[in-house]
Amino acid sequence: MELFKNTDFDFLAKKWWFILPSLLLILTGLASVVARGGLLYSIDFKGGAEMEVRWPETPPIDRIRAVITSDLKGVSVVAAHDLTGSNEVLISTELPTGKDLAVLRQTIDQALSTITTRYSVRNFEVIGPQIGADLRRQALMATAGASGGMLLYLSHRFRLSYGVAAALAMAHDVLITIGVFSLLHQEISLTVVAALLTLIGYSMNDTIVVFDRVREDRRIYGREPLAKTINRSINETLSRTLLTSGLTLLTALSLLLFGGPVLHGFSLVLVIGIVVGTLSSIFIASPILLFWERCWPAGGLQ
Amino acid sequence: MNRALMRKTLFIITITLASVFIVARVPLRLGLDLSGGASLVLRVKAEDASAGRQREVLEQTRQILERRINAYGLSEAPIQPYGSEGNELLVQVPGITDLSRIKNQLQRRGVLQWYAVDSGPYTSTADIMASYGGVIPYDRKLVPTKPMADGQRSWFVLRSKPIVSGTDLRDARLAFDAMEQPVTAFTLSHDAATRFRQYTEANIGKRSAIVFDQEIRSVPVIEEVISDSGQIRGARSREEAEDLAVNLRSGALPAAIEILQERTVEASLGADSVRRGLEAGAVGLVAVVAAMLLYYSRAGANATLALLLNGLLLIAVLSCFRAVLTLPGIAGAVLTIGMAVDSNVLIFERIREELRAGKSTAAALAAGFSKAFATLVDTHVTTVVSCFFLFFFGTPAVKGFATTLVIGLITNLFTSVFVSRVAFDWELSTQGRTPKLSIGMAR
Repeated sequence: MELFKNTDFDFLAKKWWFILPSLLLILTGLASVVARGGLLYSIDFKGGAEMEVRWPETPPIDRIRAVITSDLKGVSVVAAHDLTGSNEVLISTELPTGKDLAVLRQTIDQALSTITTRYSVRNFEVIGPQIGADLRRQALMATAGASGGMLLYLSHRFRLSYGVAAALAMAHDVLITIGVFSLLHQEISLTVVAALLTLIGYSMNDTIVVFDRVREDRRIYGREPLAKTINRSINETLSRTLLTSGLTLLTALSLLLFGGPVLHGFSLVLVIGIVVGTLSSIFIASPILLFWERCWPAGGLQ
Repeated sequence: MNRALMRKTLFIITITLASVFIVARVPLRLGLDLSGGASLVLRVKAEDASAGRQREVLEQTRQILERRINAYGLSEAPIQPYGSEGNELLVQVPGITDLSRIKNQLQRRGVLQWYAVDSGPYTSTADIMASYGGVIPYDRKLVPTKPMADGQRSWFVLRSKPIVSGTDLRDARLAFDAMEQPVTAFTLSHDAATRFRQYTEANIGKRSAIVFDQEIRSVPVIEEVISDSGQIRGARSREEAEDLAVNLRSGALPAAIEILQERTVEASLGADSVRRGLEAGAVGLVAVVAAMLLYYSRAGANATLALLLNGLLLIAVLSCFRAVLTLPGIAGAVLTIGMAVDSNVLIFERIREELRAGKSTAAALAAGFSKAFATLVDTHVTTVVSCFFLFFFGTPAVKGFATTLVIGLITNLFTSVFVSRVAFDWELSTQGRTPKLSIGMAR
């Protein structure tokens, strides 16, 4: 089977069809982050306690919320959701001020046992505020370091312009994903950070494949205008781009649909990231490369 | 038959068999988030120690805590330094979800001291003030008893200077006294035994107090000369006496400890995550394989072979290094699979291009592989470079991601370039002078 054989689309001419909606999406996302007063971090990053409890029958959410609120003075948020009809309750609280973290679990246990003793704790986490701040900083540093490393390597292997274009496209993908997360009111947890790292890797990979072809085609068709070469390269790699994205999207979608709640945030990032990451190689990275090379043209190649 | 091809094939078969052997013999270790268990992050309050000694205090604390945990035969996982502050420790206990006993054990300072009793007991501090005229002498101190089962406690006034302390202990263990009650028996070091004998000789009939972590455990009357061994009574249960013995044996912590994070995952939840992840992965894999076969016909089978072998090799290498697979590790594996699919697609599309350009099958194959390889090196090295940063700046979770990804990328280069090429060569070698590739193109 052969699809997309010898295509000849003028992608660069249609770039605004992608850039404008994407800018709009980023701005909306950022606006929602600002409107919500910052990103919605999971307790991994902000500190707090979370307990997943399996109830013998349909859990009485209101009563659970009531007993815990009355036992944990100084707790401002107590949320209890029914997790998809599985008789499981997710109880999350902020940290009570000045209380020992070590006894928090006992306190919640005691509160719950006033309703029934036949529940089982599936998962329990308490994370102190220092740890959260530490993790946030570390995750940020790791991501920044990794992106910087990629930029350096690409500048070395290709040219600075390629590195910058790829890095900007990647930043664009991360911004969109974080914005969409804020719009959908999804929490940023450690797993989501792992997924963002996966996305960065994927987006970078996709861009490099296109750029690699641009570099190769520049050697062959050095005389023609760069815009034409870039278009040619995108068209030549189009079949690969769409096929790879399609196949990885299949995997990510199956994780999203069948992977269960633990993998939900992770696979959501991947699905968004694969779509956006593929498009951004064509409509963000390539135009930036062209723009840069027009402003600061280089004599030879490499 | 081509001998070089035979050699390559044998090499691949050897590696495959070795991996199967490793995977079968060395089970992959699952992290706590997948296998169930508990983890704690502790902060050692080492700031009291002088700046130069903080490292030492941390290391001592780590070793003492490790001894305490291992005394229960619970954990083979060592306690590791954690975080960037340099004063945090990560304790991982597989298979346990109720941490209360362990937490108690870890948080105790474990300071044991034996004092001479001046007076007591008093039911309240006000009584003491009354009998001492409002001022407690500088060489005396006020210590409460351990609360009774009903929460009541009383106070004693002790001489400030201990007779013996925890560092004088040589051993401590669970024992039973004449009444079959659990007690903690201990043995003193040679030096302390001499001191203790002199003291007990001079003070027969007087009371002494055994103080553990600023609480009086018992107030025995000295009935005979004690030299090198003794007992601590007053434990409410066998566990309590045993815990105390473990504490005494492992030594006193040089600094107090604070729990920063606690995380427990019930084994069935971890198993659920693994099962659903595997199911979802299998669905995704089947879909990808079906699409590849449909699109690339026989070449799709080569890609499938490369993909499966890549998964096998990845697991084998992880087992070999005794790496622990966690959820972020699985994320790394997912990206690996994505890049493996991409590598195959990249190569196949390149071969098709060369065929379209009119090259012969063998030439198109060679050109396709070599040109795609240049791109693959760029994508793979870039990702490895970024993993390097993730590994050095990242949290343990992010490190797991980076490790899995790097291993997966290396095995992927092997399977999608080397193994897949050998599979194509076999296809060509079975045909005549003008071989044709089955790569899903209309002839």
